[in-house]
Amino acid sequence: MATIEVERQLLPILDSPNQGARFYNPELPTSEPFVPGHRTCAGCGPSIQYRMTSKAAGDNTILVGPTGCMYVANSSYLCTPYNVPWAHTQIGSAGSFTAGVAAAYEAMIRKGKWKGKFPNIICEAGDGSASDIGLASISGALYRNHDCLIICYDNEQYANTGIQASSRTPYGGMTTFSPPGPEVPEGKKLYPKDLARMMAAGHPHCYVATASVGYPIDLMNKVRKGLNHKGAAYLMIYTPCQKGFVYETPRSIDLGRLVVECGLYPMWEWNPEKRAFNYSFRPASMRPVSEYLKLQGRFGHLHAEHIANLQKFANEQWRMMGVELPEALIQASDAKNLTNMAAAAEAEAVAQTL
Amino acid sequence: MAMLADVKKRTVRINGCVASAQAAKYADVDVIAAYPIRPYTATMMALAQMVANGELDAEYIVADSEHSQLSIAHGAASSGARVFTGSSGVGVQFAYELYSPISGSRMPVQMMIADRTLDPPGDFGSEHTDALSTRDMGWIMGWSCDAQEAFDNHLIAYRIGEDPRVLLPQMVCQDGFFVSHITGDVELPDTGQVKEFLPPYKHPYPLDPRHPVSHGPQIMPEQGPPLQLERARAMEESMAVIEQAHEEFAKIFGRRYDAWIDEFMTDDAEVVFFLQGAHAVTARFAIQHMRERGLKVGMVRLRTIRPYPTERVREVLSKFKVVGVIETNMGLGGVSSGGVLYAEAVAALYESQKRPLVLSFMAGMGGEAIVLKEFYWMAEKMLDAQRRGKIEKRTHWVGFED
Repeated sequence: MATIEVERQLLPILDSPNQGARFYNPELPTSEPFVPGHRTCAGCGPSIQYRMTSKAAGDNTILVGPTGCMYVANSSYLCTPYNVPWAHTQIGSAGSFTAGVAAAYEAMIRKGKWKGKFPNIICEAGDGSASDIGLASISGALYRNHDCLIICYDNEQYANTGIQASSRTPYGGMTTFSPPGPEVPEGKKLYPKDLARMMAAGHPHCYVATASVGYPIDLMNKVRKGLNHKGAAYLMIYTPCQKGFVYETPRSIDLGRLVVECGLYPMWEWNPEKRAFNYSFRPASMRPVSEYLKLQGRFGHLHAEHIANLQKFANEQWRMMGVELPEALIQASDAKNLTNMAAAAEAEAVAQTL
Repeated sequence: MAMLADVKKRTVRINGCVASAQAAKYADVDVIAAYPIRPYTATMMALAQMVANGELDAEYIVADSEHSQLSIAHGAASSGARVFTGSSGVGVQFAYELYSPISGSRMPVQMMIADRTLDPPGDFGSEHTDALSTRDMGWIMGWSCDAQEAFDNHLIAYRIGEDPRVLLPQMVCQDGFFVSHITGDVELPDTGQVKEFLPPYKHPYPLDPRHPVSHGPQIMPEQGPPLQLERARAMEESMAVIEQAHEEFAKIFGRRYDAWIDEFMTDDAEVVFFLQGAHAVTARFAIQHMRERGLKVGMVRLRTIRPYPTERVREVLSKFKVVGVIETNMGLGGVSSGGVLYAEAVAALYESQKRPLVLSFMAGMGGEAIVLKEFYWMAEKMLDAQRRGKIEKRTHWVGFED
C-alpha cells in the first residue's frame, strides 16, 4: 500500500542557566496557546505550568484534558482559554484518549486524509488522574509509544473536588480525606507514590523527566525534549495549589524552587537512548524541609517527629541523587533538634529569606 | 489516498466475527482499538491479521482495557478518523463511563458487540443484557441474526452514524456464538459498491490545529438541557436517515432489509414471537412446523432498537391477539420481573386501540439454545392465553415450568 511519510516537528531548545526562576529569555515564543481569562485561582500552579507548556509547544498542538482543575476551572461553556484544539476526556482516560488522537493523526497523515506536520499532542492530567484512576491508561500509551507527551501536573491532591488525598499527597499533608486528629496526628500517613520513576522504569524507551514551575526555562525545555522525542514522553511537574496547600498567593514560584531546594522534589531526566537517569540538576542552595513546610497551612499540624520523618525522606532523595548531605540536614532528621509546627511568625521569617 | 485495492464481489463462508472484521476492512477504518474478551475477540484477531498482511492500512491498538478501548476510539474519532472497536459481556460494562461522553460529543464511533452473559459466574453464552444495559446512552443500536446481516449492518451503521444530520455512535450487535461463531455464506461486495454507499468520514469540528475548537468544556446546569435536547433530537431525526440508508443499501447491494422490523409468517398470524437476534433462525423453523399443524403462529423480529420504532411496533403488534416477548436478557426486579424488552413493547402498545395480550418469556438465558420444543411450549402458552382471553401468568422462565 502506498503511504505518505509522516513529518515531525523539531522545536529548538532554549538557552538556560538552570536557575532561571526570574530569568528573562528573549527567545521565548510570543504566541500564547493558553490565554488569560479562565477561572483558576490566583497563583494557581497548574495554570502557570499550562501557560509555560503550551508556549513551549506552539500552535501546531492539540491538548487533551482529563477531568481535573485544568478542565473544570479553565473551561466554561462557550469560553475556554485554549487557542489550540482541546478536548475534555474522562479522568481515567488520560492516556487512552491521547493515544486515540495520536493514532488518528498517524493514520490520517499516512493515508493522505490530513496534510501537515504531525501535531504536538499533549495530555494535561492532574496527579489524581495520573497516579490513580488513569494510571493504567497512561502506562498503556507510554508502553505503546504513541508520539505524544503526557504531563502530570502534580499539585499533590485532588484539588478540583475540594482537596482530597491522592497517591501523590505527601506524608503529613492535610487534605479533607487525610485530616489530622488525636488518633492520626500527622494526617496523611502514607508517602507519595514515586510516579515519574515508575514511568521511567516501566517504559524505558520513553523520555521521562520531573520539573517544577520554579524553573520555567528548564520546564519548557523538558516539554520540548519530550515533544521532540519520537514516541511517548512523560513529565511530572510540581505545580503548587494555593487553595489546597494554604499559602500566600504570590509564593507559587517560590514554593516551586523551595520544594527542590529542600530535596522533596528531585529534578531528573531519564535518557531513553542511554537508558540512564541524569541527576545533574542542582538547586542554588539546600535547605531543611521545615523551611518548605512552614509556608503551608497543610503542614501546620505537624509535630517534630513528623517533620523529622519528612527530612529523612528528603535525605534519602538527596542520596539517591548522589548528593553528599551537609551535617545540618542530618541533624534536621532528628526530632530532638526540631520543634512542632506552630507559628505564623515562623512562616513569615522564612518568607523574608526568599 | 491509501485505499483498498479494487476487488470484485465474491461469496465466502465465514462466521459473524470475521464478517464484522471484513466490514471494518471494507469501511477502510483508520483506527482500531482492541482488547480481548470472548467471543468478540475473533473479530479483532481477523483485523490484526489483515493489518499484518497489508490488506488494511489502520492503526491497530491493543488497549489496556475496554475503558481505554472506548477512550481511544473517542480520541481518534474526535480527531477525524474512522474508528472501529468492540467487546462482549462484562467488557461492554467495563467501558460504561464512555458511552454517554461519546454520544454527547456526537462522535460516530462504531462498536461491534458479540453478546455474552454478564458475571457471575463467567458464562460464555449469549445474553443481550451486556449491550441492552447501555441502550439509553445515545447510541444507534441493532441486532443481526446471521453473518451476512452482521456484515451489512456495520456498513449501514457507519453510513447512518456519520451522516452530518445524525453524528451518533453505533452499537452493531450480534449474538455471541449463534452468530459470532457460526459460519454462513457472506457476499463480500465490490469495493466500488462500498465507495458509492459510504462516503469518507468527515466530522464538522475535529481536533485540528488549523481550526482550533474546544470539545466538551464544562457547563452550567442551565446549559445542560439544550445539549440533552439536541442529542435526543439527533436520535429522533436519525429515523429518517436510517430508513434512507437501508433504501440506498438495497439499491446498491441488492439486499433489502426493513430498517426496523422483520416479519415472518405474520399475514394471518394470531400469536407471534417478538424477539431480536439469532434465535429468530430457530423460530422460523419452529413456526414452519407449527404451521403444518395449523397453528397461526408468526414472528416479529426487531432489527433496530435505538432509536426504538415505537409507531411501527404499535402498528405491527396491534394486528395480533397475543405477543410473546422472548427476552434473552435480565431485567431483575423490573416491570415484568423478567426482561427489559417486554416493558418497551407494552409501552409502545399502550396507545393502541387494539392491544394484544403480552407475555414475557425468559428463554435462551445463559446462552442456552432455544430449542424447537421450547418454541412449541411458548406458542402453547400464547394460544392458551388467546383461548382464555386473558393472561394467567405474565412472565415465564422457560424450562423451569411444566
